[in-house]
Amino acid sequence: MNGLNAGWRAQRRRQTWLRAGLMGLALVAFLLPLAWTLVASLGIAPDATTSPPAFHGQFSLVNYTQEIGVAEPGFWLKVLTTATLATLSTLATVLVAFLAAYSLARSRIQANSIFISGFLILASLPVMAYIIPLADIVQRLHLYDTFAGLTLVEAAVAAPLAVFVLFGYLRQVPTDLEEAAHLEGAGLFQILGRIVLPLVAPGVIATALVIFVLNWNSLLIPLVLASVQVKTVSVALVDFFTFERELEWQTAAAALIISLLPILVLVGLAHRALDKFVLDPTRVEN
Amino acid sequence: MPTRRQRILLLVPLALVLIPFLIGPALFGFFASFTNYAPNQKNLHVVGLANYAAVVNDSEFRSAYRNVAVFALVAVPAELGLGFLLAYLLREPFRGRGLVRVLLLVPWLVSPIANGVMWRYLLNSQTGLLDYVLAWFRVTAASSPLGIQGLALPTVIATDIWRLAPLVSFLVLPGLLAIPADLREQATLEGASLWNQIRHIAIPHVLPLLLTIALLLIGATLGTFENVLMMTGGGPGTATATPGLSSYQQAFQINNWSLGAAGAWVIVAAILVLGLVYLRLMRAAVEQ
Repeated sequence: MNGLNAGWRAQRRRQTWLRAGLMGLALVAFLLPLAWTLVASLGIAPDATTSPPAFHGQFSLVNYTQEIGVAEPGFWLKVLTTATLATLSTLATVLVAFLAAYSLARSRIQANSIFISGFLILASLPVMAYIIPLADIVQRLHLYDTFAGLTLVEAAVAAPLAVFVLFGYLRQVPTDLEEAAHLEGAGLFQILGRIVLPLVAPGVIATALVIFVLNWNSLLIPLVLASVQVKTVSVALVDFFTFERELEWQTAAAALIISLLPILVLVGLAHRALDKFVLDPTRVEN
Repeated sequence: MPTRRQRILLLVPLALVLIPFLIGPALFGFFASFTNYAPNQKNLHVVGLANYAAVVNDSEFRSAYRNVAVFALVAVPAELGLGFLLAYLLREPFRGRGLVRVLLLVPWLVSPIANGVMWRYLLNSQTGLLDYVLAWFRVTAASSPLGIQGLALPTVIATDIWRLAPLVSFLVLPGLLAIPADLREQATLEGASLWNQIRHIAIPHVLPLLLTIALLLIGATLGTFENVLMMTGGGPGTATATPGLSSYQQAFQINNWSLGAAGAWVIVAAILVLGLVYLRLMRAAVEQ
């Protein structure tokens, strides 16, 4: 019995080290390009001509403070615009999707699972597939290059995924509390706000975070449906390679880090909330 | 329980957003593709399948669809497989697991356009990571793989796998953690090999989840636009052309709206077909 335990423990220890090794390898593979970018933005450039290759340069923040302003004037304004747009559209998406998901989750229709899978299919549809007719429609509705227009379009693009995910959470919530409140005379929105929402709050926050990231990173919509009034960071990044202009690596690296930093900080602060993001299709089938 | 009237009312905001800005455009694009419609078209008439014929006859579009099919067939299984393995590595709790999970999410936080910009520089001779690593082995690379006919598409695919495989691991981990603990322990005690444990316990439990993620990934791959826009512009030649890029260029740069819209609508059709396949597969997977 003792021998069996010892052998098992040794195997576990081997497995732990193996796992740690693989994990370390994976982390290096997935984070090295970003570390490289960060280092470059801080003024340290690689030199592959020497043997062995080396680095040169001094640690400095000049790429962030000066170069960005020179290469891309108004970059910081674009960061602010992107943050505003992403916040507005995330709020709109989550609100609209929450109400709809609740309605679907409390429905008695048996064909529900096909219907909700339809939302997943809509969520898989890339924006490129319908942006050409969409651009035309947005023009005709006089929403081109407006915050309102962009918010509505981003909300439409993100809503199907939000509905699918929120439906999963709401299906898990038992209805007894709602029915009890209803019997006591509570109105629909009171029930939604005081009883349902607190129960699914972690899931809603996780969903909002994911939608925020998707909105922050979207390019096609601000590129095609806006021009001068609403300029986002993604669109600014496209400008880097127009007219044969090749931006210096250090400056581009700084811009890339800036475009990443806000959502990185957000995810870092709220990562516990993100743990609650669950894409569970089997809940749909129940 | 909300009444039927209340349930319909709750759906109205969603409808007000989806119909004009998602479903409407998709339908409009469908019907417009059978006409010669364009935003400033004066005399509108039906042209039948002429637009789609033009798409099929266009060598760039043909390359584009072929590229994106290759892309999906290679990238999606790689992302699913790699993501699954990463999640499997994370299934046992250990100190710092939370941090590792967040760190693995970072590649996905990089937007597709930023990803394109980043890799373009990283694969570049003077400033690149690739050349730096190669220099350690005394190899000097001549030019970026993005400019080489046979390497361009694989390189773009690799950067996509880099970006999305960790996201898959993030999405799959809750599914793995939901597997009843006693099932896993019993298998370990019975001495089941790792491969058998994965094949007979883990995969059946997360198969519906993997199918769902697969559908989302395929959709994203079919719409590939930002990374090729930045990394190669569709080149060299048409080696990395995608339907997204080509239809964008046709509609907004070459001003051939009909061709661009028809080329893009094929993506919608593909997703609808894939959606039906997904529904069929899901029913089979859940019944297991």
